[in-house]
Amino acid sequence: MTHTIILPVLLPLLTALVLMFGSQRSLAWKRGVSLAATAALLPLGLLLLQQVYSGAYGVYVLGDWVAPFGIVLVLDRLSALMLVLTALLSLPALLYASHGDDNTGPNFHALFQFQLMGLNGAFLTGDLFNLFVFFEVLLIASYALLLHGAGPARSRAGLHYVILNLVGSGLFLLAVGTLYGITGTLNMADLAVRVAAAGPADAPLLRAAGLLLLVVFALKAALLPLYFWLPRAYSAASAPVAALFAIMTKVGVYSIVRVYSLIFGAQAGLLADAALAWLWPLALATLVLGALGALAARELRTLIAYLVVVSVGTLLAGFALNNSAALAASLYYLLHSTLMAGGLFLLAGLIRTQRGAEGDQLHPAAPVSQPALLGSLFFLAAVAVVGMPPLSGFIGKLLLLSSVTPGTQWIWLWAIVLGSGLLALITLSRAGSQLFWNTLDITPVAPRADRLRLAGVVLLLASAPLLSLFAEPVHRYTQATAAQLYAPAGYIHAVLGERDIPRLTIGLEELP
Amino acid sequence: MELLVAIMIGLLTACGIYLLLRARTFPVIMGLTLLSYAVNLFLFVMGRLGQTQPAVIGVGDGQYTDPLPQALVLTAIVIGFAMTAFVVSLALRARGELHSDHVDGNADPRGPGA
Amino acid sequence: MTLSLIIFLPLLGALLPPLFIRLGRTACAWSAGLLAGTALAILLYHSPAVFAGETLVFTQPWLPALGLNFALRLDGLGLLFALLILGIGLLIILYARYYLSEHDPMGIVGGYELSVVLASAERIQAHALYPVTLVLILLGAFTKSAQFPFHFWLPHAMAAPTPVSAYLHSATMVKAGVFLLARLFPALSGTELWFFLVTGTGTATVLLGAYHALFKHDLKGLLAYSTVSHLGLITLLFGIGTPLAAVAGVFHIINHATFKASLFMAAGIIDHETGTRDMRRLGGLWRYMPHTATLAMVAAASMAGVPLFNGFLSKEMFFAETLHAGWMGEWSWLLPLLATLAALLSVAYSVRFIHDVFFGTGPKDITRTPHEPPRYMKVPVEVLVALCLLVGMLPAWTVAPLLTAAATSTVGAELPYYSLAIWHGFTLPLLMSLIALVGGVILYLLRFRLFALHDRIFPICDAKAWFECGLARTVDASHWLTAWLENGSLQRYAMLLVASMLVVIGTSLWGLPLTGPVPMDAVDGVTLSGALVLALSVVGLVVSVAFVRFSAPDLALTQLSVEMVTILLLMLALYFLPQHSPAESSAARRWRDGLLAGGAGLSVAALAWGVLTRPLETISGYFLEQSVPGGGGSNVVNVILVDFRGFDTLGEITVLAIAAFGIYALLRGLRLPSPSADGEGRPWAEDRHPLILSAVSRPLLPLALVVSLYILLRGHNLPGGGFIAGLVTAVALILQYVASGVVWTRERLPFDYIKLTASGVLIATLTGVASWWFAHPFLTSTFEYIHLPLLGKFELASAMVFDVGVYLTVVGSTLLILANLGKLTLVSQPHEETE
Repeated sequence: MTHTIILPVLLPLLTALVLMFGSQRSLAWKRGVSLAATAALLPLGLLLLQQVYSGAYGVYVLGDWVAPFGIVLVLDRLSALMLVLTALLSLPALLYASHGDDNTGPNFHALFQFQLMGLNGAFLTGDLFNLFVFFEVLLIASYALLLHGAGPARSRAGLHYVILNLVGSGLFLLAVGTLYGITGTLNMADLAVRVAAAGPADAPLLRAAGLLLLVVFALKAALLPLYFWLPRAYSAASAPVAALFAIMTKVGVYSIVRVYSLIFGAQAGLLADAALAWLWPLALATLVLGALGALAARELRTLIAYLVVVSVGTLLAGFALNNSAALAASLYYLLHSTLMAGGLFLLAGLIRTQRGAEGDQLHPAAPVSQPALLGSLFFLAAVAVVGMPPLSGFIGKLLLLSSVTPGTQWIWLWAIVLGSGLLALITLSRAGSQLFWNTLDITPVAPRADRLRLAGVVLLLASAPLLSLFAEPVHRYTQATAAQLYAPAGYIHAVLGERDIPRLTIGLEELP
Repeated sequence: MELLVAIMIGLLTACGIYLLLRARTFPVIMGLTLLSYAVNLFLFVMGRLGQTQPAVIGVGDGQYTDPLPQALVLTAIVIGFAMTAFVVSLALRARGELHSDHVDGNADPRGPGA
Repeated sequence: MTLSLIIFLPLLGALLPPLFIRLGRTACAWSAGLLAGTALAILLYHSPAVFAGETLVFTQPWLPALGLNFALRLDGLGLLFALLILGIGLLIILYARYYLSEHDPMGIVGGYELSVVLASAERIQAHALYPVTLVLILLGAFTKSAQFPFHFWLPHAMAAPTPVSAYLHSATMVKAGVFLLARLFPALSGTELWFFLVTGTGTATVLLGAYHALFKHDLKGLLAYSTVSHLGLITLLFGIGTPLAAVAGVFHIINHATFKASLFMAAGIIDHETGTRDMRRLGGLWRYMPHTATLAMVAAASMAGVPLFNGFLSKEMFFAETLHAGWMGEWSWLLPLLATLAALLSVAYSVRFIHDVFFGTGPKDITRTPHEPPRYMKVPVEVLVALCLLVGMLPAWTVAPLLTAAATSTVGAELPYYSLAIWHGFTLPLLMSLIALVGGVILYLLRFRLFALHDRIFPICDAKAWFECGLARTVDASHWLTAWLENGSLQRYAMLLVASMLVVIGTSLWGLPLTGPVPMDAVDGVTLSGALVLALSVVGLVVSVAFVRFSAPDLALTQLSVEMVTILLLMLALYFLPQHSPAESSAARRWRDGLLAGGAGLSVAALAWGVLTRPLETISGYFLEQSVPGGGGSNVVNVILVDFRGFDTLGEITVLAIAAFGIYALLRGLRLPSPSADGEGRPWAEDRHPLILSAVSRPLLPLALVVSLYILLRGHNLPGGGFIAGLVTAVALILQYVASGVVWTRERLPFDYIKLTASGVLIATLTGVASWWFAHPFLTSTFEYIHLPLLGKFELASAMVFDVGVYLTVVGSTLLILANLGKLTLVSQPHEETE
């Protein structure tokens, strides 16, 4: 019995508890514990990825209660990829935080670990209600992290974020309840079987439940018309928290991909591809409005937050194309966009601290203390985000654009993706010249960036050239992942096996 | 009976959502609370209403109700309680920092400290 | 392999100077120069093979799935560009060593651009529809090579120090677009679309650029616009599409690079020596720097297309090709006419460059006395000017092999015969040249009248202004749109969320038979009254009545105890929050919200109704069967919570714990102005801890603790369990707070609630981990019956330890939450407000 699958959940949980017990201890001790545990997630993630690399599934049967009765964790290529991505993002964010941002309120490191636990649990679980529970774990941790340290802007944005997500949680429960009420099961593989077998009488209710889930995930992922909370929430958060939040929207994207490839995928009978008709126009509209929002942004952090919205639009448009090549491209783009958004948020933090009272506002102000260094990093990130060769954004977009066959979709996707790329180019050039070029003639007084924070920024931004250099192996993996997702029979078989599942009928015995 | 329960859930939802759309934190929190009642009730009745025996083995004739939704509701209640407590505290914090109980922190028409 | 070194050595050269900066400027220049020189040497090493007609290819797979390879190819065209870039780059490094002052950042010169430009040699094998591809590629190429209407960026790239702009303009960056045209020439040219797009753009650019160059007073502005114009000329030639036009284009690339780089360096020297580049202030510099003046004159003559200089040769070929352009039909006279006009303008600004700077009166308002620059600053200029002359006079001996190699690979086929001779006899091109030369000089003589005319007609004829204006409009529109969408109103966002829910449920259920086959359960009195009360009073406590009615004792208990705590919470909140909401919503808004809320209620009710009237086939039978034999408990709901779905419960208590920690952090240090009276103006009771309450509550505590212990232990078999027990304990303790005050209670309850909460979650987690010891997955339970004397048969299940963890978490976090909220009333005394 190997227990490695559950370690990405248990390790952060136990670390968080240890940190709570040691809440009176020194900050250095907390940083050490937290960093060590977070660093351990990367080899762990890679180990798990190596286990499923060849296409195998890892199923962890909690409490030894077989599926669909107990809860199972399911490791496939997608979940392993998300675990590695979370580890890649969180360590630099934590490095950055360990130079002061963790000291503006109590228990930062414990909350950070709780957040990681929630993320990893959401990526691993194979049970829909358990997904709800992990959503709540990661949400409550994100509420606390967002509000960490004080400030009216955080309170205001936090209140919106919390209230909307509470409503979202309510809708999640309505959806789970309806699905249970019709299919009598909560296990996602079993749900896939039962939904595929649903008759015309049950299909409308299942469709309502499925689309309710889409609303819930779209709220998390920040899809039109539910993304408006994001710019203020992300720009109000401290830099490392905003960087970690780069993956919060991706949890929504992950859930959409998981649920709509497994439960409501092509094989779902009457409910096949239930969400795609909605997803395609909304994703493209999100892409356009996000790009315009970035252009309109008056602060660098708001700009980056809108770039996150753009990336969500791009990802979901890729998923809505409903072919393996497009999904593979989207998954590659997901890695790129998450790490770049994280890196940009951290970089914005550095710029803010070096620009004095003007912070990250996009108008002429005092220059930063290290214009060459920060300017080069910004340039690198901008090239990658805009999608210019030879960095990762270019490859991601090229993969996506080449995955669509000529037709109406082709025209829309090319026009909007390239157009938004042009807008992003203009946006980032303007921002870059405001931050580094059109500076006032004032000698900067802010201290230079310290090594820890710089390391965080550089580690994340290094992903752009690295993802480009190793585009071939990474893309090969995302291709395999997409192929696996579009063949859910393997997942279902790995979870349910050939067992006969006894079911109890309620309600019909009274019929004559 | 089913109709009555459905109407009850619908009424709770409607009241909750109406309050949710108000502009002050306290009604919004009340709305969220009502909405969570509605959702809990909804989740609970997904196990159907017909059976009358509590799912305690050895008690009664074996016509037990579906225990699973009940367990789910219990989990949901606890999580809902945690969330309500959090949002109440946050509302207080927002009131302290924004000097307003408007959900957007807008300036208070009744003047500060009202 | 060595091909890639040609790219990577200059890249290294860009990275090295910052490292060498401490060793001084010379070391810096040497390090950059050495690397560029090495790259040049490698290039020359390969050149014989290329002259022999070979194409060297180096390919490294990058992303084969897209047909994306890192491929370098060195053929004649590539060789020409690489030579131009590296050669001129090397000269510029030398020049920059003297030009840039101590304060200028060394390091950006001489490296990075090389690699960018050379890297464009990566061939991206795209295949798509021809017109779209063509338009997109041309857009890219035109933008890069500053073609109309994208020409405005180039003259504005003036912020760069002179060597950089010299380099950018003459040799490299702007030629990247032209290079793209040349590279793709064999694949795309020769169609009508190509001709009209490329030639049209080129013609517009050549004229506009020349026109603007004539009217610039800034030396570098003149040169920059003239660059635009010459790029237009090259583009025009490629647009004509004949092989000879391509030869002329390639030839002009070489010539333009040499004379324009030397002119930029000359302009830099003048700027360096006089401190100004304004031609209205300059003049008469011949007296101070005759050497530089001579060099500039040669280069300018080449630019003007004076015979015996290299510019003349390519301009002759240009004229000849415009005469042979196809597709124009009866308008074929237009192109030669416009070409002559452009050349005429070009002569005029070349004359202006020389005459306004080196002759006439002046210089005016110059603070220092100009003199010749350092020796080695002039060497690069001399080298380039010498090239101008050599090529101009002895074309066949100098440039011919390189031109042949480059033009062959551009055209992609054998070249037709052409002659590089200076003298072709009295031909039409010669006549055009003469007209241009004479007309240009006349135009220059009329310049002052023209300047006045120009200023009157085109006060703001600047594409950059148009571009910026358009951009500002776009930004304003996005501002407006974004502010309208993301208006910071929670009510709007919540409305959208509710509307989304309504839409998805509505569209799914609309018009379908909602009612299923299952007969309805009879309405009985308890439920009816319960439901009515519920519907009327909408008080949460009554939900528990419903739970009791439908055989859910655990739920009813939980709902009751949670209700108590929630009410406490809300009371505390209400103390601080205003009790009366102002009537802010308009009637229309209230109607809209009412409709939305009604619709949402209706849709959820419909959903519930639809499900309830359908049969359920559930997996729950397994839980009923396995609860006793597998889970060791007869209360199935509890066994599900702590065993079958214990992982959910672990997550749930984690949520509770995080919420408590978060609330603790939220409320720390918060001070609220607390009202001295309630909403109706009644003052809050002065007596903070009523005597009777504290007298009654104290003996209640041990009783409540015993009850909660009982509930905890029996939970596995009868309604109860850790959560309910925890809440009962917490409520009993909270009662002490209410009755006797925080200080009194805290003295008697010296627990650290944070650690209590954490230990609860830890116990639950470790119970799960313990099953690893027995080679079972996380949270596998076990149980044992033990017989104790007097008490009889007694069951011990590991799940009960898990439940103890739940209990502790609930107690700890509830107290942490309520005590912290309660503390707010302590730190915010009513009288604080009066201070």
